[in-house]
Amino acid sequence: MTNESSTHRPQRWDTPFGPGLSDAEIDQVIARPEFASIRAERFPAHMPLREILRNDTRIVRLDPGELIVREGDYGNSAFVILAGKARVVLAPGLPSELLGRHKTSQKGWWQTISQLWQNRRIPELRSNRRGPVPKASGDTGFEPRLFVQDIPVALDKHRTAVLEEGAIFGELAALGRVPRTTSMFAATLIELLEIRWQGLREIRRHDEGWRKRIDERYRANALQSHLLASPLFAKLDEATLAIIAAGTLFETYGSFDWHVTYKQLQRQQTPADEPVIARQGDHTDGLLLVRAGFARVVSTLGSAERTLTYLGVGEHHGLEELHEAWKSGAPRPLGTSLKAVGYVDVLRVPTALLEKHVFPAMAMPENRFAAQTARPLAEDGFMEWIVAERLMNGPRAMLIDLDRCTRCDDCVRACAATHDGNPRFTRQGKVFDHWQVTHACMHCVDPVCLIGCPTGAIHRSPQDGTVVINDSTCVGCSTCANSCPYDNIVMVAIRDGSAGVHRDSADGQPILKATKCDLCAEQATGPACVQACPHDALQRIDFRQLKGFQGLES
Amino acid sequence: MSPFGKAIHLLPLIVGALTLLGVPWLWSAQARRTLGDPAVITGWWLFGVFVLLGAFNARKKLSVLPLGRASAWLRLHVAGGFLAIALFWLHTRSLWPTGAHRQALAAAFYLLSASGIVGWLLQRTYPRQLADTGLEIIYEHIPAEIARLRNAADQLVLDTTRDAGNDTLARHYMETLHWFFRRPRFFINHAFFGSKHARAWVRQQCGVVRPYLGAVERERLESLAALAEEKLQIDFHHAAQSIMKRWLLVHLPLAAVTTILVVWHVLLVHAYGR
Repeated sequence: MTNESSTHRPQRWDTPFGPGLSDAEIDQVIARPEFASIRAERFPAHMPLREILRNDTRIVRLDPGELIVREGDYGNSAFVILAGKARVVLAPGLPSELLGRHKTSQKGWWQTISQLWQNRRIPELRSNRRGPVPKASGDTGFEPRLFVQDIPVALDKHRTAVLEEGAIFGELAALGRVPRTTSMFAATLIELLEIRWQGLREIRRHDEGWRKRIDERYRANALQSHLLASPLFAKLDEATLAIIAAGTLFETYGSFDWHVTYKQLQRQQTPADEPVIARQGDHTDGLLLVRAGFARVVSTLGSAERTLTYLGVGEHHGLEELHEAWKSGAPRPLGTSLKAVGYVDVLRVPTALLEKHVFPAMAMPENRFAAQTARPLAEDGFMEWIVAERLMNGPRAMLIDLDRCTRCDDCVRACAATHDGNPRFTRQGKVFDHWQVTHACMHCVDPVCLIGCPTGAIHRSPQDGTVVINDSTCVGCSTCANSCPYDNIVMVAIRDGSAGVHRDSADGQPILKATKCDLCAEQATGPACVQACPHDALQRIDFRQLKGFQGLES
Repeated sequence: MSPFGKAIHLLPLIVGALTLLGVPWLWSAQARRTLGDPAVITGWWLFGVFVLLGAFNARKKLSVLPLGRASAWLRLHVAGGFLAIALFWLHTRSLWPTGAHRQALAAAFYLLSASGIVGWLLQRTYPRQLADTGLEIIYEHIPAEIARLRNAADQLVLDTTRDAGNDTLARHYMETLHWFFRRPRFFINHAFFGSKHARAWVRQQCGVVRPYLGAVERERLESLAALAEEKLQIDFHHAAQSIMKRWLLVHLPLAAVTTILVVWHVLLVHAYGR
């Protein structure tokens, strides 16, 4: 024990979202109409409303033109306008140059070279001192204080709407783990209450009024933005779009916490057990648009079902049959079934609305599943595998060609050399044919690891959407590691300068930190694992773009 | 990738190799015509290629530096290795030089080249065979996996003895298969002869006892055979992965010996050669 040190175990609110609201500021917030109806006594003793407001919110003051949220960024917080006005940019959004986007800062030449002697010999070395309070536990984009580069141009060329005092926005991205769908900027000098998603989750959980309000707004916002994003509806005028939005149904299939039971489901659930969204042979009453999650398209083959493909966000099902029925005047049954994979949000646009507003101006759609249906059965294995293993969730999965891999572990050593002397992946994982998907973070489309992080230490990078961990705010609770359906997050005991394990002064238990692949975001080399493989056996791939392994063979 | 595509992919390497060989060849021919010493030109050229070959190992240690993909370095290393052999013959103007020191240097160089070629071939051959087993195991986990199989086999035999009230299978197991499950076996056969003898041995041990077993014991024997089959796969992984890891323990020391002899050769030539 002589070479071990004691320290204080990090707690839920050790790192508040901002400098912390004063009692007077909390009183002012609670007195506002948006918060006045919240019944504080319904909050549990360990999670009082005042402490949520103190620790999970911060007051932000912005100048006119300053960006509040940017389209495409992964935000972890929602906003309430306390004073002033904001403008929201309607689709199509502002171009990148007006939004002042910047690239991830990589190490310079000197920083890169100096790693050769500065890299620590002791793995997972951390200072015993508590790190500085971070500016934000997430990625709200406030720290850089970005401005819309040319407001007159933005207002002239782009449709905007004004949000007044008391408006709540940003909850869609904060709770849905999806990128911001619109950009918003301060129209006047503005004062905002920013609530990180952990606080928003608690308020929603314990207050019925906020829960209803958030859910209604969530549904309304999702509907509007997703209809606008679909090419089928992009050319419609605002009035027609409003009619379609009013008639569209918002449906949810599967469990929101699909990751919790994923491994159990994997053992027990066959495709037939998945919730059916639309059944082959039935006559559908509307077009199905995937809003979040994944759904598999299946067709009956013999006495079983065959996975033809899967649909992700923005993809639709049933269009061909509906259009053909409208054209011929005779009902057409669905040629395929649609089933929820884990959790999926679906928009159902009624047939009557399509026939009246969309089909007349539309060319005959091609049968998107014809190629998959004609595919040899021998090629089905790949599709069944990636759906069964939920690999379509991974846009940056690590794939190893075992026909080339000499098991030399140069990739593992390179990873360790660039990450505190400890690799951020293990060269093990699911195998199909001669391809192995290793236990390396896939930077998922639906990053369920973000759910439940008490401090927001694990978050989406605003620059490129990779999932990264803020080491200084990680409290080592293991929630993310337990949530990851793919076992790609590893908890490690941190060490001090004498290689001793940091221990909690209260209970003597080791202090843990969550670690995972960060794609070597700061390294000039890019992912060191890919660079280090002498046999080109290892690559990072996007399973969403991959419909077979043929393109990977070389 | 199509054959044409591969050729295009390798074109810079081929052109580079021909240049690296052609330049010293022409230069030394020119030196010969002007009564110069072509061995000095080819010798230093060969030394340069030798340094380049050694740089591959350095690249592996410097993964934080943006030095290009290791796969490109390996291609360069392999092409450079073959080029070094050609340059060596151009330099010595014979397959086997005269003089003890030069012969020692040539022997070290040939052994180094041979170990490199063998290693390269092994790395092109074993991975596919390993993938074909359908089993993937990390080398360091092999002892634990064998222990798991051994414990499972021991338990199976104990249960069979208890359930069948007969120790025929247990006796046979202790006399034969227990030895097999104890640690990796048939290394040479797995490594170089396709595991056929190892698989035949297991089949023989299972077959020879089958006539003496009752229904329950026969059923358990099938389970034991399945465990043995898994062990065979692990043994193959052990043999192949051991060789792929350890051939470098031959190649790298030979590289060190050759380097020392090369430096000594350069010192001797420049001290006494003129």
